[in-house]
Amino acid sequence: MLKELYLIPVALYIFSYIPLLFKDKKMYKVFVSLIYAGFAFQTLIFFIFLSIKGLTVPVHIDRFVFFNAWILMFIVVLFGLFYKVEYVLLYITPLVALNLLIGFFVPHVHITPVMLNVNKTILLTHIVLILIGDSLFALAFIVSLIYIFQERKIKNKKNLKLFDKKGIQLKEALHSGGGYNLELLDNINYQCLKIGFPFITLGIVMGIYLSGSLSRTFMAVKPIEIMSLITWLIYAILLHERVAKGLRGKRAAIFSVAGFLLILFSLSFSFYLFPAFHGLK
Amino acid sequence: MDILIIGLNHKSAEIGERETVSKKLLTIELRRDFTNKLFDMKDENGRPFIKEVVVLTTCNRSEFIMNLSSWTQGKGGHIIKSYIAKYFFGDAAEENIFYMHLNEDAVRHLFSVASSLDSMIIGEPQILGQLKEAYNEACKFKTSGRFLNKLFHKAFNCAKTVRTETRIATSPVSVSYAAVELSKKVFNSLDEKKVLLLGAGEMGKLTVKHFIKYGVRNIYIANRTKENALRFVEESFNPTEKEYLNVIDFSEYYKLLPQSDIVLCSTGSEDYVLKYADIIPVIKIRKQRPLFLIDISMPRNIDPEINKIPNVYLFDIDDIGKMIEDNMEIRKQEADAAKELVETAVKEFMNWKESLNVVPVIISLRNKVKDILEIELSKYIGDKKEKDLIINSLTNKILHEPTMLIKKASANPEDISSIETIKALFNLDSEDFTDTDKGKENENVNKYIKLIK
Repeated sequence: MLKELYLIPVALYIFSYIPLLFKDKKMYKVFVSLIYAGFAFQTLIFFIFLSIKGLTVPVHIDRFVFFNAWILMFIVVLFGLFYKVEYVLLYITPLVALNLLIGFFVPHVHITPVMLNVNKTILLTHIVLILIGDSLFALAFIVSLIYIFQERKIKNKKNLKLFDKKGIQLKEALHSGGGYNLELLDNINYQCLKIGFPFITLGIVMGIYLSGSLSRTFMAVKPIEIMSLITWLIYAILLHERVAKGLRGKRAAIFSVAGFLLILFSLSFSFYLFPAFHGLK
Repeated sequence: MDILIIGLNHKSAEIGERETVSKKLLTIELRRDFTNKLFDMKDENGRPFIKEVVVLTTCNRSEFIMNLSSWTQGKGGHIIKSYIAKYFFGDAAEENIFYMHLNEDAVRHLFSVASSLDSMIIGEPQILGQLKEAYNEACKFKTSGRFLNKLFHKAFNCAKTVRTETRIATSPVSVSYAAVELSKKVFNSLDEKKVLLLGAGEMGKLTVKHFIKYGVRNIYIANRTKENALRFVEESFNPTEKEYLNVIDFSEYYKLLPQSDIVLCSTGSEDYVLKYADIIPVIKIRKQRPLFLIDISMPRNIDPEINKIPNVYLFDIDDIGKMIEDNMEIRKQEADAAKELVETAVKEFMNWKESLNVVPVIISLRNKVKDILEIELSKYIGDKKEKDLIINSLTNKILHEPTMLIKKASANPEDISSIETIKALFNLDSEDFTDTDKGKENENVNKYIKLIK
């Protein structure tokens, strides 16, 4: 069983937090290196799956969850390197590790007997697009939370330490790279939205097409479609407000948080509470 | 050879008293005049009290670091102190505001001052530069000699060690630096940002200089009197800095607000220059781009309510002051570690100083042995050159162990009886150790330094 392989990156992710206990800048580098090593393992496992099964729709829950975790980590690593905000890894990695653990513990069962009747290329594209979009929104969610807390600190002028360059405190170590500056956090949030929105839009369009081809009717009103459209609408409004009216800062961050919570809700809603709504049964 | 420091600082004297002293030491001529007067102080036998002196004067302290003549005994220090009080205040009764440190205490004090442990703001870097300037001036006018040279170089080394081995100077504690650090919490990069300075004061100058240092290239300065702003730029900034500065009419500053990312307010106005209602339209025009306001004026010139507007961040002098206090706390903690380093340096210097006290004993001992050898060898060796060679060689061989013992004893007060024993054994006359003139003492020190090499 390949599932046991998931435990290697999980272990690396968990162990990566131990060096942080030493509150030393060098240890911070060890933390980042261990997380990259974990991601490298995840990527290796991903390519092992590709070599065994080829480019196919993940039909088992554990593979699906693994794929989700890999895309999320891939996007976070890319953004972390590009914007020099490696501290985001600190907050995202536990989510990725949790995903991998879920992947390890869930049974290795088929999830889409109904879905397999539809066009597999479109189905795969739908999944990939939605996962990329959702991962970008997940990053925007984390970055928005950091923004909200940091903005609150600056506004209230409480617990706001001036950056000590030669210090070895954990807080200071986490400031290396771009630091928690509001402008950068807001910019990352915007980039995630700008890139993620087309992905999610195309993903939803394909989902509706797939749903239509299943039920032989276009836009049969299902709860999952309504939820998806509400989520899409929230992000559409956010993008519009950002581009047209210059919405930014705390309000934009709150929008991002709300949008992602709705995504989480709609996913749980569709997969766990009412699997039939997502054409799973 | 005693080290004496007499001075006053922010702890011992009020600002007015410090001003009185610093005014009388303001120029090189005044300081020269004062040091000459110190050198002219003589005891009842007409011998000068002081051999070397360095005058340190800063906004927070005035200190006179002196190397006393060997005959200047305990009460000499008090005589000098009374004289200094009388010189500056016309009344010797004022001497209470001066502190006095002798020998080890004086060395400890100087090293602490150099390491910025005695400063009003612990860890501030200026004091070391001021101390170096004072020392250079003393060297230039030859009021500092071999002994104070050694003392000051040790003090500079000690300060360097403290700065590199502790975090005493790392956390920002100046308002200007803190303002830049705070702006970096809001903005990702300062390179493209526009800074608007309202008012042309000292604090504004320092903050603008810091912003330039951190990459800001567009700075606009508005002052109620444009001529003052132009003069302020001319006098306060170097040619490179001036390239980034633009002076505008005060009436135009409001038009510039929407394009400004950082606004520094440092005017002398008694009322708010920026009001809540002024900023609401500005932030709309800015499309909610963050606006960072720093109010370093007293009374405040920016309405504190402005901080409630989304994407506007206002810090006044009190907010920055509180943050500086936190960093001060870090520095105070580091000061304990720094004091240990100072203590080690003091010990090293005192050991060196104590070793100098035995120079006359060693010289006298060598002379005694050389005299005996001269008398005895003259009977057998006629060639003077050959005889001197043998005398020197034998003296070195015979006295190697006793010299080492004396040196060791000088570093350890418990072994001081060994020196007395050597004196008794060789019947060394105590009068031989009293210097009669400065030249002879220096000569002896030189001889000793050659010996211990």
